Amino acid sequence: MNRLRGQAALMVLAMALLVTACAGGKGGSFNMQNIDIGQLAQNLRGLRAVSESEEIEIGNGVSETLLGARPLEKDDELQHYVNVVGLWVARQSERPDLPWHFGVSDSDAINAFAAPGGNVIITRGMMRLLRNESELAGVIGHEVVHVVNKHHLSAIQKNAFIGLLGQGVSAASGRNQQLVNALIGPTKELYARGLDKSDEFEADRMGVVIAARAGYDPWGLPASLQTLAGMKPDGSQLALLFKTHPAPGARLEKLSLAMGTSFDQLAGGGQSSDRFTRATQRLKVADAR
Amino acid sequence: MKTKLRLAFGVACLSATFGSMAEVGYTLRAVDLKAKPYLDADTVSKLPEKAELEIVSRNGPWMLVKTKNKQTGYVRLLQVRLGVTATSADPGGWLPPVLPEPTGSSRPSTVATNTTGIRGFTEEDLKAAQPNKAEYEKMKSFAATPVQASAFAAQAQLSARTLAYYAEDGKQIPGGKK
Repeated sequence: MNRLRGQAALMVLAMALLVTACAGGKGGSFNMQNIDIGQLAQNLRGLRAVSESEEIEIGNGVSETLLGARPLEKDDELQHYVNVVGLWVARQSERPDLPWHFGVSDSDAINAFAAPGGNVIITRGMMRLLRNESELAGVIGHEVVHVVNKHHLSAIQKNAFIGLLGQGVSAASGRNQQLVNALIGPTKELYARGLDKSDEFEADRMGVVIAARAGYDPWGLPASLQTLAGMKPDGSQLALLFKTHPAPGARLEKLSLAMGTSFDQLAGGGQSSDRFTRATQRLKVADAR
Repeated sequence: MKTKLRLAFGVACLSATFGSMAEVGYTLRAVDLKAKPYLDADTVSKLPEKAELEIVSRNGPWMLVKTKNKQTGYVRLLQVRLGVTATSADPGGWLPPVLPEPTGSSRPSTVATNTTGIRGFTEEDLKAAQPNKAEYEKMKSFAATPVQASAFAAQAQLSARTLAYYAEDGKQIPGGKK
C-alpha cells in the first residue's frame, strides 16, 4: 500500500513537473518530426492508447538498449534464417503486418526477448539449447505473443512517465534519440524485473497455438521448457531468465493443463532438424573451440 | 575446465546407469508405459514416480523411453523431467541432460550452466547498456518479406492452419482464429 501511495505521489509530482516544463515550450509540448513527446508522455501514462506508430518507435528504443547490452551474433546466414522462420510464425498471429524483426544476439546466456512493435531477440545460448526448428518456432511464438498482446508496452506505460522526466525530456536532441533516451531507464528496469507471471503463462499458451498455426509441432515450446526444467537454475547463463520468468516446471504444469490432448493430432510438423542444424552449425563449431 | 570435468563425471555416471550415452529423465508421477504413442494403447507396465528413463526418441507429445529394467515404451512428454532425480546417480543432486549428437538433435551435449567466461546477457550487462542504434539498424536489415516467409514455408512443407487459442483449463476459446 505504501508503495502504491509512493507511486501515486511520484506520478503527481511528475505530472506537475511536466506541466511546468511544457508550459515554456511551443504548444505546450516538445514537437519532433513525427512524434509529439508531450502527447506521448500522456499516452504512456495511459490517458490515451498508444498508436501503432508510437508503439513501433518505443520498440525501436527498447531494442536499441537491448542490443546495447549485447550486439548481434556475426552470422548473416543465421540472422536471415531466424527472420524467415520468425516472420512465417508471426504472420499467423493477429498482428501479421507489424514490421517484424528477429535477431540472434552474441550472448551465451539462455534467453529471448520481445520488444514492442515487432522485435524479437534470441540469444546464441538459447539457439544452442534448442533441438530443432519446431522448438525455435515455439520460442518465437511465445515472444510474438508478448508483442501481439502488448505485454511490454503495457508494463512500460505503467512506469515510463517518471522515466521520461528522469531521463530529461527537455534535452531534446533529435526525434529518435529523445525517445530512446527517455526509455533507457524504464527498459532496463522492466527487462531486469520481468513481466507479470500471468503474461508469461499467456505467452506460453498462445505461443503454442501460433507455432501450430504455422504448421509446426505444438510440442516444440514444451520440449524447450522441459530442457530448461532439467537445468540447474543458478549460474550466469540462466540467472536473468530464471529471475524474470516463472519456473519452467510451473510453466510446464500450466501448459499441460491447457494443452491436454487437444494438440495431439497436430504433432510432428516442421521437426526437420536438417535446416536448423545447417543454420546453427557455426554456433556449434564456436562452442567446440 | 571445471565444467568439462563435471560433464565427464556426469557422462560416466549416466553410462554406468544405462550403459550408453543418452538423454535421461525421470517420471514426474506414476504413469503408464504405453506400447504405442496413443492414449488407448496397451500398457506395458506401470512406472512409479521418479522412475529413471533413457530418452530414445521424441514424437510430438510422446517420448519413446527405455526403463532401467530394459522395458521400452511411450510416456507423455509432459510427464517427464530431464536430468536425474536427487536420489539417483548424481551426488550433487543434478546432472546436465546429456543428448545424442546431431542425428535427431542439433543440440550439443555441453549445455551445462557455465559459470565462468561466458558472454552473457546478465542483469549487469543490461544495467550498463547504452542504446546501440547501429546494431538495431543492422537487425532491421535482415528482415524477411512476407513473400520470402511464404516461399520458405512452401519449401519447408509448412502449411498454415486455423486454430483457436485455449484457456488455462484447456477449453477452446471460441471466435475463429483468436
